[in-house]
Amino acid sequence: MKYKILVFYILCFLPLLSFSQMKSEYGEFEKILKQKSDLYINEPNFKKAQSFFLEKEWDSTLLYTSKQLGLTSKNKHLDNFSHFLRGYSFYKKRVFSESKSEFLKITEDFDYYLHTKIFLGAIAIEQENYNKALEYLLPIENITNDKLLGINRNSIEGNIASCYLLLDKFSEADIYFKKNIKFLEEKRDTLNLVIGYSNLATNYDYLDSTDQAIANYKKAYDLSRYIDDYEVKTGTTHNMYEVSKYLGQPDLAYQYIEEHNQWKDSLHDQNEVARVLQLEKRIAVEQKQQEVSLLEAENKVKEAQKDGLMLSSVILLLLLGTGVYFYREKVKSNKIISAQKEDLDELNATKDKLFSIVSHDLRSSVHALKSSNSDLVDNLEAKNLEKVHTLLHSNSAIVNGAYNLLDNLLNWALLQTKQSYFEVGELRLFFIVEQVAHNYKALLLEKKIHFENTIPKKDKVFADQESLKIILRNIIDNAIKFSNAEDTIKIYTRHTKEGFCDLVIEDTGLGMSEATRQNLLQETIVTSEKENKDIIGSGLGMQLCKSMIKKNNGNFFIESELGKGTKMIVSLSKIPPDGYY
Amino acid sequence: MDTINVLVIEDTPAQSDRLVKTLEENNFAVVGVATSLKEALSLFYGSGKIDIVIIDIFLNGVPDGIAFAETINAVPNASKPFVFLTSSTDRQIFQRAKLTQPFSYLMKPFNELELLYAIEMAVEKFYAQQDVFLGDDEDTVISDEYLFIKKGKSLKKVRIAEIIYIEVEEKYCNIITEKEKFVILISLTKILKLLDNNSFYRTHRNYIANLEKVEEIILADNLIILSGNHRVTLSDTYKDIVKRMRTLR
Repeated sequence: MKYKILVFYILCFLPLLSFSQMKSEYGEFEKILKQKSDLYINEPNFKKAQSFFLEKEWDSTLLYTSKQLGLTSKNKHLDNFSHFLRGYSFYKKRVFSESKSEFLKITEDFDYYLHTKIFLGAIAIEQENYNKALEYLLPIENITNDKLLGINRNSIEGNIASCYLLLDKFSEADIYFKKNIKFLEEKRDTLNLVIGYSNLATNYDYLDSTDQAIANYKKAYDLSRYIDDYEVKTGTTHNMYEVSKYLGQPDLAYQYIEEHNQWKDSLHDQNEVARVLQLEKRIAVEQKQQEVSLLEAENKVKEAQKDGLMLSSVILLLLLGTGVYFYREKVKSNKIISAQKEDLDELNATKDKLFSIVSHDLRSSVHALKSSNSDLVDNLEAKNLEKVHTLLHSNSAIVNGAYNLLDNLLNWALLQTKQSYFEVGELRLFFIVEQVAHNYKALLLEKKIHFENTIPKKDKVFADQESLKIILRNIIDNAIKFSNAEDTIKIYTRHTKEGFCDLVIEDTGLGMSEATRQNLLQETIVTSEKENKDIIGSGLGMQLCKSMIKKNNGNFFIESELGKGTKMIVSLSKIPPDGYY
Repeated sequence: MDTINVLVIEDTPAQSDRLVKTLEENNFAVVGVATSLKEALSLFYGSGKIDIVIIDIFLNGVPDGIAFAETINAVPNASKPFVFLTSSTDRQIFQRAKLTQPFSYLMKPFNELELLYAIEMAVEKFYAQQDVFLGDDEDTVISDEYLFIKKGKSLKKVRIAEIIYIEVEEKYCNIITEKEKFVILISLTKILKLLDNNSFYRTHRNYIANLEKVEEIILADNLIILSGNHRVTLSDTYKDIVKRMRTLR
C-alpha cells in the first residue's frame, strides 16, 4: 500500500537544534559560549555584540559583529566567533542563505565547528537539500557526546532518519528512526516519541510493512493523548483517520476525523488567541512606550524649567548679595564721612572761637596801647616824667602779653602743620629753666614774687629744647599771672616714676577749682569759664603745652586748690627714645 | 687769661647791636660784625684770631649763613666753633643747617643766658668734650692751643704754651702761667689725656710740667726748676724725664 500520509513531516526536523529549544541545554551552551568569548571582552564592538547576542537582540548583534569584522583584526579566532554569532543571528532571523555563507567562513579549528556543521545541516534541511544535510550530519552522529557541547545527539539521529525518509532511502531511515525511538523511550520524551512513532509508521508505510505502520500510527495516537500539542494531536488523529479509512472502518474514520477537526480548531483558536494576545501585548507595549516618551518629554521640560529656575535664583541671589554689599559699603562710608564732618565742624567751631578770642585779646592790647600812648603824649607835654615812666612800664607789659599770645599762635600753627624742627636731645633742666625764667626776672621783681629754681644741675631729660622752652614759658607765665605779691613760685624736680623726671612748677597763687582743672586737661582749646574775669586768656597756651608735652612723650598733671596755689607737673622721659644716638 | 674773640655775622644792625652789647657785657671780644657772606669770609680768614662765630642763617633773605659754615668747615683744622642764629624753626632750613656738624643754634629772640649757653654748647661740641660747662665737676675744655675756662657766666681762654706747670689738688688743678695763677676744675686723667704729651710731662703725683719751660733738673734734690724760678718736685717714679730731655736736646 502506498499511502502518503506524510501530513506532518515538518515535525521531524524540529528536534535537531535541541539547544535552541530546551532551556537547560541552552543555558549550558550559552555559558560555554560566554566563557570562550570573554577572552575578547577588551574589544568593545565584540563585547557589545556578545551581550546583545545573549539578550537575543539579533539585529544589534549583526551590527556590532560587522563593525568588529570591519576592524580587520589579525585574530582568526575572534573572526570565527564573529562569523558564528552572525550566522546564528541570521539563522534566527531565518535568512538562511546569509547564515550559510557566514557559517561557511568559519575555519575548522574553531571551538564550535561542530555546531557550525549542525547549523549548516539545519540550513540544508530548511532549504530542502537533504543530501547536503546528511553530508553535514552523518559525521557528527559518530562523535561521542562529550564533544558535542550541548547538542542533542539523538535529535541528530532523528534528523538523519527524516532525511533518509525524504530521500526515499527507507531502510536507512528505519535504522535511524529506531535508534531515535529507543533513545526517546529511555528518556520518556512523550512528544518526540509521538513524532518518532509517526515517522517510523510512515517509513513502514513506504517499506510496505502496513501492519507495522498501522501499529506505530496507533502507538503515536495513543501517546498523543498525553500531550497538549494541538499540532501533533491533529497529525496523529489525521493519521488514524487515514488508517481507519484504509482498514475500512468508516465509523472509526469519522470519529478520528471529528477528533482531528476538533484539534485543528483548537490549534486554530490557540493560534488566534496567541495572535490576539501578541497584538494586545504590542499595543500595550506601544502605549507604554508612548507614555514613557511622554513622561520623558515632560521630564525634559521639567528639567529645563528646574535648570532655568536654579540659574535665575542664583543670579538673583548674586544681585542681591552685591546690592547688599554695596549698600553696606555706602552706609559705612557715609558713617565715616558724617563722623569726619562732625570732627571738622567741631574743629572749625573751635578755630572760629579761638580766632575771635585771639582777635579780641589783641584788640584789647592794642587799644590799651593806643589810649596809653595818647596819655603819654599828654604827660610828656606836661613834663610829668614820673607818670611817663609808669605808662611806659605798663605799655611794655601790654606788649609782652600780646607778644606771648602771638608767639603761642605761631607755635600752634607750626605744630599743627608739623613744619617745625623737632629733635629730641639730652637736656639739663636747670639751665633750660634758668634761661626761660631769665625773661621774667623783671616782671617777678615788679610783682614782688619770690622765684626759686632748685633743680639739681645733674638732672637730665630727653626732650626737644625749643618745645620744652615753650612749655616752660607758658607755665611760668601762668604762674606769674595767677600769683599776687609776696607769693612764691618754686621750680623743682621729683623722681616718682621709673624712667621719668617730674618737673614741678609750684605757686602759692590763686589756685583753681576742680572743674577748671578738669577743663584745662580736656582736649578742647577754649576754656569756657574763668575764675578771674580780670585775667583773661584764650587757653591756647595750655593747649599748646599739652600738645607739646605729648609730642615729647611726656605727661602733664595739675594739682590745685582754690586760694592755696597750683602745681603744674610736667613728667619727661629720662630714657633716650628709640633710635637716639 | 684772655678774652674770647667772637665774629658776629648778622645783617640787621638792631640785632647785631644788641648781640654785641650782650657779648661785651659778658667779657667777650667782638672782632667784627659782618653783614654779608663775603665780608664774613674775609673777616674770618683775615683776622686769624677768632675763637667762635655767631652766624645769622638768613643774610639779606638768603641762607648764606649756612653757606659760610659749609665753607669754613671745608678746610680742616682751620674751622672754629660756631652758633647759628635763627628766627624760624622751619624744618627744611634746620635740616640743611644740621649737616654742618657740629651743629648748635640759638633761637631768636634770645636772652643773655641763652646766648651764653649756646656759645658754651658750641665750644663743647666742637672740641668733642661735652657736659663740661653745665656740670658742677668740670669747667674747662681743652683744645690744641687753648684752655677754655668757664669764669662766672662767661668764658675765658688760656694759651696752653704759656702754662709753666700744673699742680693737681684733688679735683682742682692749679694752673701756673708766666703771668698768673688760677684754679680750674678738671680731672687729672682727662687733662693728661688731652694735653700734648710731647710738651707736658708728669713729674710727680701732683705735678705736670711743661717741658719747654724746664730750666734745670736737680736729680739729687728731686727738683725741677722751671722758668720764672718755679720749682716742682720730681718723684722717683717719673725720673724718665731725664731721658726725654736728652732726646729733645
